[in-house]
Amino acid sequence: MRQYMASLWALIKKDLIQEWRSKDIISAMLAFAVLTLFIFNYALSLSPQAQASIATGIVWVLVVFAGTLGINRSFSAEQDQGCFDALLLGSPDLSLVYLAKMLSNFLIMALLALFLLPVYSLLYNYSLFNGLFVGLILLGAWAYSAMATLLAGLSVQTRMRDMLLPVLLFPLLIPVNIAVVKAGAGILEGLPFADISIWFTLLAAYAVIITTISSMVFEYVIKE
Amino acid sequence: MLSKNKWLSVLSVLAVLAVLGALALVIFYAPLELTMGLPQKIFYFHVSSAWLGMVSFFVAAIGGILYLARGKEVYDSLSLAGVELGLLFSVLGTVTGMLWARPVWNTYWTWDPRLTTMTIMGFTYLGYLLLRRAIDSPTRAARLGAIYAIVGFVSVPLTFFSARLLRTIHPTIFGNTGEKMVMTSPMYQTMAASIVAFTLLFVVLLWHRVRLEMAQRMLESEPEEGTAKHQVAKFDARGEEQ
Repeated sequence: MRQYMASLWALIKKDLIQEWRSKDIISAMLAFAVLTLFIFNYALSLSPQAQASIATGIVWVLVVFAGTLGINRSFSAEQDQGCFDALLLGSPDLSLVYLAKMLSNFLIMALLALFLLPVYSLLYNYSLFNGLFVGLILLGAWAYSAMATLLAGLSVQTRMRDMLLPVLLFPLLIPVNIAVVKAGAGILEGLPFADISIWFTLLAAYAVIITTISSMVFEYVIKE
Repeated sequence: MLSKNKWLSVLSVLAVLAVLGALALVIFYAPLELTMGLPQKIFYFHVSSAWLGMVSFFVAAIGGILYLARGKEVYDSLSLAGVELGLLFSVLGTVTGMLWARPVWNTYWTWDPRLTTMTIMGFTYLGYLLLRRAIDSPTRAARLGAIYAIVGFVSVPLTFFSARLLRTIHPTIFGNTGEKMVMTSPMYQTMAASIVAFTLLFVVLLWHRVRLEMAQRMLESEPEEGTAKHQVAKFDARGEEQ
């Protein structure tokens, strides 16, 4: 078990160091998210009155789109430079490779979300700083990265690459989208937790199920 | 090569007869529904198609699991055939549903959990086919396809559950006429007959599709040493060299 955790941490650290040195993914994601927010602002004529009902929707769409942009790249180093073989040789257990990549994707998504919340609050003078709301976005980000990491492992091995991930991912992400947006709107409208707890349960169930299945099948993703 | 299968031929004829029989029942035997009238008759084939749209997902996922566990090509063909038929039947289910909804609910589309789930299911099948098309190596296509079929199958019930939960909190404007419809026994009999006929058709189509896929792979695969095909291939190769 200790060995397992140590290997997991080593793999996560590898991804984070790689990202820290180039900052390619995170900077592109942040810029993309803010620019998309500008598009939404004019496309939907966002007004301060309309905030409570659609704030969660907007923030979540930004997280999903910018996240897809970043996660698309998450296996490209492995694919392009033959690191899959190294991982195959070096990892005692291939579920580790998935879990590590999922967690580092989750950390990047969390960073993105924690950056977007103040930006949104600032631009619209509407505070999204609510412990439960932040928790919801993080839980959603876990459910999201669990599915997206697995599918990025599939799409990176195809000819279409970046184009294919959204087509594969978005249909399977519907439950996450519904749950986050509904629960978020409930939180911002000040509903009691009992009314929205079912969405948290759904999200947690989705995240746990997908994480488990993905770690089980991931060896077939990279083993030729 | 694959030889002709007697059982499959018999079953194919039976399936066609069964579907024609079900059609006859729908037209002549099933009574007119009181409020909805004639358009309601699409219900029988609509329910059958939707049912098979879901069954196909199950078939595709089982095929995927078996392929990953045993690595036999026939399981991959089963999974692929399941997805293709799933796409066909979920599109049929959606389209017949829309045709029925227009006169009855006065709109082609509502964000009803059943409609939404069925359509998302169709998109998942489409994603599977796009995934396979984008991969050149057949074994890799089979492997990655199997994984997608499995996670897709897991996510569909969650989609249905969440879309349904959404509705219990937000009541829809259009009533769920379909559910409140009172069915008489001739209607039940017709529905049962349609479902049986369509399921038979599904099994036959699935079987044909798996055989076709296997035959195609045999044609495309490397000829084995010593067979007539191998000798022909060697002869062709020599011809090209000269």
